[in-house]
Amino acid sequence: MNRTAVKFVLGSAILALTFQATLELCAQAPAATLSGTVTGPLGVAVAHATVSVKNLATGQSTDTRTDSAGTYKVTNLAPGDYEVSVSAEGFNTQTTKARLVAGANQTTNVALSTVSSNTGEPTLKDLGFSPNQIQGNAQEQARLNKRSHMLKVHQELGLITAVPLFVSVFTGPGAKGHHGLPGSPSGRELHAALGAATTGLYFTSAYFAIRAPKIHGTEVHGPIRVHKALAWIHGPGMILTPILGAIAYSQESRGERVHGIAKAHGAVAVVTAAAYGAAILSVSVKF
Amino acid sequence: MNKKLLILFLLLALPALAAPDKQWVLQECTLAYHVSHTLHQVDGVSHAAKGKGVCHEGQCDFLIAVPVKSFDSGDSNRDLHMLQVVRGGEFPMVVVRTRLPEMAPGSATLHADLDIQFAGQTVHYKQVAFQETAQGNTVRITGTIPATVSDFKIDPPSLLAIPIKNEIPVHVDMTWRQQ
Repeated sequence: MNRTAVKFVLGSAILALTFQATLELCAQAPAATLSGTVTGPLGVAVAHATVSVKNLATGQSTDTRTDSAGTYKVTNLAPGDYEVSVSAEGFNTQTTKARLVAGANQTTNVALSTVSSNTGEPTLKDLGFSPNQIQGNAQEQARLNKRSHMLKVHQELGLITAVPLFVSVFTGPGAKGHHGLPGSPSGRELHAALGAATTGLYFTSAYFAIRAPKIHGTEVHGPIRVHKALAWIHGPGMILTPILGAIAYSQESRGERVHGIAKAHGAVAVVTAAAYGAAILSVSVKF
Repeated sequence: MNKKLLILFLLLALPALAAPDKQWVLQECTLAYHVSHTLHQVDGVSHAAKGKGVCHEGQCDFLIAVPVKSFDSGDSNRDLHMLQVVRGGEFPMVVVRTRLPEMAPGSATLHADLDIQFAGQTVHYKQVAFQETAQGNTVRITGTIPATVSDFKIDPPSLLAIPIKNEIPVHVDMTWRQQ
């Protein structure tokens, strides 16, 4: 065999092997992951529960245990149909099905029921509570957490806003002037700067209250109703006050006396500040 | 013939022997937690508790459960905040279990060991005293469970940077009816 023939045979063999390896790699789908949380009847995490994940096509099983938070994770699973069986001492074994697709990170949570004792000890089921009432909901808790966090920011920003708001009310007469004479330019500048700071802080604070998640099935009652009702006064007031203030500012800057609708700036600002103060007071006794 | 009679007797008698002696159902219940803060006091009340007691061989197992979100303090905003603090989304029920000897009518005070599941924790309270008043086939039980925020690993909520007091006593007023 000459050298050219040897090269040809070797080259063909390498090509064939490369082609086969490529085909095998293409055929091997990315592995999937199955994870979840195991809970008891009250939504309490069940630690050290045995989780058995069985591939229904091959019959191969993978076992793991839940950690102290009741979570489990099984990696490197081939795509396909699985049977997930969870057992723990004092609980009835629970079996559920899961279909895994290539590369997926699927969550399968399992709720276990307690084994009834021989003495007929009453269970929550006996009391007539529905499963929805008994079962914990992590998403609901996350919504509650987000709501509390956003309302805390709203509360803190709201209290900070009160400072420039009330100072701007008190600096108003200095900006306006007395006895038909215009106020000093520095007084106007200070008043305008305080007004701008108030407006910016107010709407940032309002954003956190408006965007806080709503909790379904909750009837609003108590002082919070007063707090919300007062927003219908100080909200429009906070829009109107800077507009009227800007008109008054430009009139005074031109050496004119404040006239037209701009004359209402002071009154609107006082009503807005009063409603805002009442809104803070209405909920300041809450924790 | 005798064997048949004996089997028949056993078949009839066994279920009766296995059946519980007595059952109690919670007819009415008012639970009220009390929160103290330097600036004010709050009471959250629930009437939504359900309970059952099953007696067997002189011992009664009682189970009382109440949804966390059923407590009303007069301010829905505060109640939702409380629900968040006690992780009521994850753990929506308060469950109380106790085992008592069958109630002896007329005894004025009973002491109960309580297992309370709340906020993802189970806490055992020993020998909690309750007042008992029997009337016909009903028994009224009143008392206070000396619960604390730290017992259940709850971060105490605060107002103006002042946290609430650790003690959150729960007043109990229950009427049980014998079935």
